[in-house]
Amino acid sequence: MEAGFFEKIFQQKRMGFASLSPQLTVISHNPYFLEFLIQPGRPAQGQPLQVLIPETVGLENVLEQIAAGKQVFFQLENLQREKPGKETLFFHLSFYHTAEKAAPLFCLLEEVTATARLRQQIIQQMNEIRLLESLIAARREEISLSILGNSEPIRKIRATIEKLARVPAATILLQGESGTGKSMAARMLHHASSGKNAPFVEINCAAIPETLLESELFGYEKGAFTHAIASKQGLLEEAHGGTLFLDEIGDMSLKLQAKMLSFLETRRFRRLGSTAEKEVRLRLLASTNRDLDELVRNGAFREDLYYRLNVVKIELPPLRELGSDILEIAISYIQAFNIDFNKKISGLTAEAEEKLLRYRWPGNVRELRNAIERAMIFAEGERLDAADLLVGPAGPGPEAAPAAENFRLPAGGMSFEEIEKKLLRDALKLAGGNQSKAAKLLRLSRDAFRYRLEKHGLPDG
Amino acid sequence: MFGVGKTSLVRRFVYDRFEDGYLSTIGVKVSQKLLPPIQTGEGKFGQFNFLLWDIEGFEENSPQLSNYLVGAAGALVVADLLRPETIASLPAIINRFRKAAPAGQVALAGNKIDLAKTSPETVGELERFAAESHLPFLLTSAKTGENVEKSFQVLARQIAQSGGR
Ligand SMILES: Nc1nc2c(ncn2[C@@H]2O[C@H](COP(=O)(O)OP(=O)(O)O)[C@@H](O)[C@H]2O)c(=O)[nH]1
Ligand SMILES: [Mg+2]
Repeated sequence: MEAGFFEKIFQQKRMGFASLSPQLTVISHNPYFLEFLIQPGRPAQGQPLQVLIPETVGLENVLEQIAAGKQVFFQLENLQREKPGKETLFFHLSFYHTAEKAAPLFCLLEEVTATARLRQQIIQQMNEIRLLESLIAARREEISLSILGNSEPIRKIRATIEKLARVPAATILLQGESGTGKSMAARMLHHASSGKNAPFVEINCAAIPETLLESELFGYEKGAFTHAIASKQGLLEEAHGGTLFLDEIGDMSLKLQAKMLSFLETRRFRRLGSTAEKEVRLRLLASTNRDLDELVRNGAFREDLYYRLNVVKIELPPLRELGSDILEIAISYIQAFNIDFNKKISGLTAEAEEKLLRYRWPGNVRELRNAIERAMIFAEGERLDAADLLVGPAGPGPEAAPAAENFRLPAGGMSFEEIEKKLLRDALKLAGGNQSKAAKLLRLSRDAFRYRLEKHGLPDG
Repeated sequence: MFGVGKTSLVRRFVYDRFEDGYLSTIGVKVSQKLLPPIQTGEGKFGQFNFLLWDIEGFEENSPQLSNYLVGAAGALVVADLLRPETIASLPAIINRFRKAAPAGQVALAGNKIDLAKTSPETVGELERFAAESHLPFLLTSAKTGENVEKSFQVLARQIAQSGGR
């Protein structure tokens, strides 16, 4: 075979090699070997391998074993060299034992850039998917566990919840119209105050018949009543170490109220059909959309239980009192549903905003959420428009704006100036004194609105 | 575990840079960094020249992995605070490292704290794990640079105190 035959093949296959002394210095090498050095092209002869290829630092023991013939082979895969202005070079580095006393180690470097790049692309994509998934999950959690908004009442509630989270024993009463987020506030309190695995147990007292509610709460022993074919633990026990949330406690019967009171005072109870007392440790949260004061006055709610529950009260305001928070909450739902429905709705049109601000929201946040969800399913545009938002019962409700056609001039006539003045005043009142919003309500520009205020000598602000 | 931010931490530490767009690591990427001198014992100071091995491949259970680990004096083991499952896999990773490099020191980093401020539970979980296994740990962000240099220094101190290289 001609001289340099193997050299040529190694070169063509993009392989470098070197033979090494027992002290791990380079005795000889082919030209391609220089490509893989940390400082490529520098003379290598006589140099310590660790200086040329720093990846071999720490491998002294292993290489000694190979030089001594106690281990045959050692390989590091996918080492890399970044070259300015060029593609990163990937290579495998392997060591073999040779029978030559002065050069007992043979070091082979094999370029694998092409396959490495392919693998890298696959990993890259998996990586990106994972990152997005975790970001989405974190964002979902953030949305579902936060009370949104910046209005005064909302800020107060957030501060109260933060404070109360640090007093885990306190019983808390959540009061507010239906749909105001009492159940979410209860979850927030729970998450903020208990460990990750602490149970959160929730039951709606209005949704369940009295006898069932009792056995659900307290549990029962086998044979306690006709259908009790096996013993069952109640929600009180299930919530041990965590939170029990009694939704709509105003609907609880007087008899059950008495049992709850006795439990709250002693932290002890008995399962139905049992004489053995059990003791549990839990935080009780209760909510109501009814006026408990009034129920107490009418004898429908026990006064002593009311005082027990009412140690701390959080009032959740109706949505219509939150002003522009309505828009912020709507936007956050849009973002959440963008994720769920794989859409890219960017926000609300001015008309849609106006519609949301004007509506009375008897179903509060829950109704808003449903309205946004429904709108997002069908929306075609880049932003949600007023037409996408179907709010309120079909047909004009008491709060819907009367269409201009429905307005009739009384037979006796009336003062145009007086009507205009009244409309301006009402709009300002509805908008809480905010002129821009008031102008929007009357479909006027802000300037036109101000002009009219001045015309009637109304205070502008 | 990939995607936890190992490469990003090394880049922040060595070049003080963070980019979102570069490619994932495959195999091993070696870089160097001279640490500022640290106190290594009473009246003793030392300076470390770190040779950092950024390794990918833990999920494949390849025998190759041990080859990367044998020469190491220490490991900064990284969990992703957004993914609790990366905390669950820490014991296996640490065991594997200790098997390959029995004298090696271990420190923990909980990364992406910039995004994880809202999930105190995962942070608590890592805290508990670190306490149980008597390992030093820091919450880091390769993005903001928070605690990045410090976590490598903590590891350097561990190595120095154990009398390692
Ligand atoms: N926000 C944020 N993103 C990070 C952080 N560290 C890494 N990342 C991102 O997480 C992804 C994976 O990071 P990378 O360093 O490649 O992870 P590796 O597989 O462990 O090396 C990349 O998109 C990074 O931009 C961090 O501290 N904060
Ligand atoms: Mg990486």
